[in-house]
Amino acid sequence: MPIASQDEASILSGIAEVVREHLDWRGPVTPEMRLVEDLNLDSIRLLTLAVEVENRFRVLLDEEDEARIETVADLIRAVEAKLAG
Amino acid sequence: MPAETINDLLARAGRDPRAGLRFVDRDERAFHLGWAEIRERALAACGQLQALGAAPGDRVALIFPTGPDFFTAFFGTLLAGAIPVPLYPPLRLGRLGEYLRRTGRMLARVGAAVVLADRRVARLLGESVAEARPPLGCRTLDELPAGRAHPAAVTPADLALVQFSSGTTVDPKPVALSHRAILAQATALNNLWPDSAERKHTGVSWLPLYHDMGLIGCALPVLARDTTLTLLAPEHFVARPALWLRTLSRYRATLSPAPNFAYALCVSRIAESDLAGVDLSSWFTAMNGAEAIAPSVLRAFEERFSPYGLKRGVLTPVYGLSEAALAITFSDLGRPYRTGRFDRERLARQGVAVPAETGREIVAVGRPLPGFALRIADPFGRPLPEGQVGRVWASGPSLMDGYLDDPQATGRVLQNGWLDTGDLGFLDSGELFLTGRAKDVVILRGRNHSPEEIERAVETLPGLRPGSAVAASWLPEEGQGEVLGLFAERRREASAGELAALPEACRTAVLGATGLALDEVVLLAPGTLPRTSSGKLRRGETLRLHLAGALLPPPPATPLRLVRAVARSQLAYARSRIERLWGRADG
Repeated sequence: MPIASQDEASILSGIAEVVREHLDWRGPVTPEMRLVEDLNLDSIRLLTLAVEVENRFRVLLDEEDEARIETVADLIRAVEAKLAG
Repeated sequence: MPAETINDLLARAGRDPRAGLRFVDRDERAFHLGWAEIRERALAACGQLQALGAAPGDRVALIFPTGPDFFTAFFGTLLAGAIPVPLYPPLRLGRLGEYLRRTGRMLARVGAAVVLADRRVARLLGESVAEARPPLGCRTLDELPAGRAHPAAVTPADLALVQFSSGTTVDPKPVALSHRAILAQATALNNLWPDSAERKHTGVSWLPLYHDMGLIGCALPVLARDTTLTLLAPEHFVARPALWLRTLSRYRATLSPAPNFAYALCVSRIAESDLAGVDLSSWFTAMNGAEAIAPSVLRAFEERFSPYGLKRGVLTPVYGLSEAALAITFSDLGRPYRTGRFDRERLARQGVAVPAETGREIVAVGRPLPGFALRIADPFGRPLPEGQVGRVWASGPSLMDGYLDDPQATGRVLQNGWLDTGDLGFLDSGELFLTGRAKDVVILRGRNHSPEEIERAVETLPGLRPGSAVAASWLPEEGQGEVLGLFAERRREASAGELAALPEACRTAVLGATGLALDEVVLLAPGTLPRTSSGKLRRGETLRLHLAGALLPPPPATPLRLVRAVARSQLAYARSRIERLWGRADG
C-alpha cells in the first residue's frame, strides 16, 4: 500500500517512534515491513506495540481488525480508520 | 462453620461493604465493585445459565479480559454448580489462526458445554467453536436467556476449576481442582498474612485471571478477607510496567506477586519520570514464582527500587505449579531472599550440591507451606538426603484431583497422595533449590509451552532432518530469565546456502508459529541428538549435554565401534538403573 496522505505519513512516524522506543528496534520502519518476519516481534512485543499504538493515538483497535494486521501498512490503515471513525 | 466451598466464601464475602474488587484501567481510572454487587450479578448469570440449560458438572469455558464480566461469569458458573474453565483471550495483533486452533482444541479437550465470552472475543471465535461444537453454543453475558437462579448445592469434593497447565495444541493438560483443594490453597496463603492493628493487608495484581497465580493466588483468597483487591489488565502491565508500581503505591498495597520476567521488565522498561511520587514502602511481600528466578533480577530490582521505599525482605521467592493449585513452598516472609553457590561440576556431573564460593548461584525458593511436604527422590522414588539432586515430589491439601478425564496421565504424576512435579532440585537446610526439569516443558515469562509445538514449526525447513529438532529452555548463569534454544540436526546433503540461511529461517518459523523468540539456534551434525532405544528424542539429556559442552556428533562407525555399541546396548539396562538421572556423556 503506498503511503499517500499526510495523515498516513504522520501515523507511520508515530508507529516508528513506538517501535524504536519500546521494542528495541534500531533499523528503519517502512510500511511494507511485516511485524513478525521483518520487525521480529514476539507475542509480548506485539502486545506492547498494540497497546502503545493505542495509547499514542488514543484509539482502541478491534480484535477483528487486528487479526488482519500483518504489516506496518495494515496497522497504519487500522489506526487511520479508527481516527476517522 | 468454616467455608467449605468457593460458593460459601462468596456468600459470606463483604461483611465490610467497602470491600470488593477495584479495576484500574490504562489511564489509572479506578472502578470499584463491592462483593454484594458481584454476588448479585453472579446470581443473575447463574439463573441465565440455568435457563440456557447448563447443569451441575457442566464445563463452562470463560474467555474474558480482566474486568467485572469475568467474575460475573466465573461465580455465576459456580453458583449453577458448573465448572469454570478460564481460557486466555486472543493475543494482540495477528496469529489469530493459531489462537483459534488452540482454543478449539482446549474447548474440545474439556468437553465444554458452553463458551461464555466477552463481546469482542465472541465475534472471533467462530472457527474454534465450530470445531468443538459446545452443545449450548458460544454466548456473551448479554445473550443469555432470562431465568430465575436456583443455586446448586455443591460439596467440597466437587470440581471448582479446570485450568490448563500449558495451553498448547499438542498436549493440552487440563488440571482439575476441587473446591476443597482451592480453599486449602487460599487458606494456606491467607494464613501467611494475618491482619494486625498496624497492618491491614491489601493486594494488587495484574496477573491474568486464566492463570493460577492471578485467580487462585489473588482473586479467590481475597473473598475471605475484608478488603479490596486491585486488578490491572496484564496487557497494560506488559506495555507500561510502571502502572503496576504506581498502583501499588497509590493504594498502599502490601501484597503483590509476579513471575521473574515481570521484575526484569520493571528494571529495564520503567523510566524515572514514570515514578514521580511512587512510594513502595507499604509493600510487604512480593512473591516471585511461576518460572525460574534469576538472582541478577532480584538484585537489580532491589537496587533500582529501594530508593522508592522498597524494603529488603519484600522479594519472596516461591515455588508451585498448577497441579498443586498454586504454591507449595514459600521463602520465610520478611527475610531477605536467599541464594546459594554450588560447585558447577559436581552439580552437573554427580547431582551433588557442594557449596563453592565461585559456583553456580541458585535462588532458594523456600520451604513447604504449613500442611505441605516435599520429598526429593531418585528415579525409583527412593528418598534422597539433603544436598542431593533428585526429582521434586510434593504433597499437601491442594493437589489436583487429576488431569481432567485422563486417569492415565494422572497416574503418571499422582501416586499415593504425592505429586511428581517433574522438576529437579535439592534441599539445603530445609529449603528447596531448583536445578532443572525432568519434564518436557518450556517455561517462558511464567507460561508453559510444549517443546513439540516449537519443534514442529521447523519440521519442513529445507536443510533440516525431519523429526530431529529439540526445543528447550533454561536459565543461564547471570541471565535475566530462561532462554529458548533450538537444537536441530542438519541434513547430510544440506547445501552451504541452506545452512547459512537456517538460523534465521528457524527463528522466523518459530516466531510465526508460536510467537516465541528463539535465543539460540544450534545446528548439529546428523545423529548428534541423544535418543532413547526406541528412537525418541531425549530433550532433557540434549540440554544437559549442551550445557556441559558435550553435545558432539557421533564418531564414525568402524567394526570395533559396532561391536562396542552392541555390548553397550546389552549393558544399557543395568547402567540405566544406576545412571538414568544424570547419565554420563558417552564418547
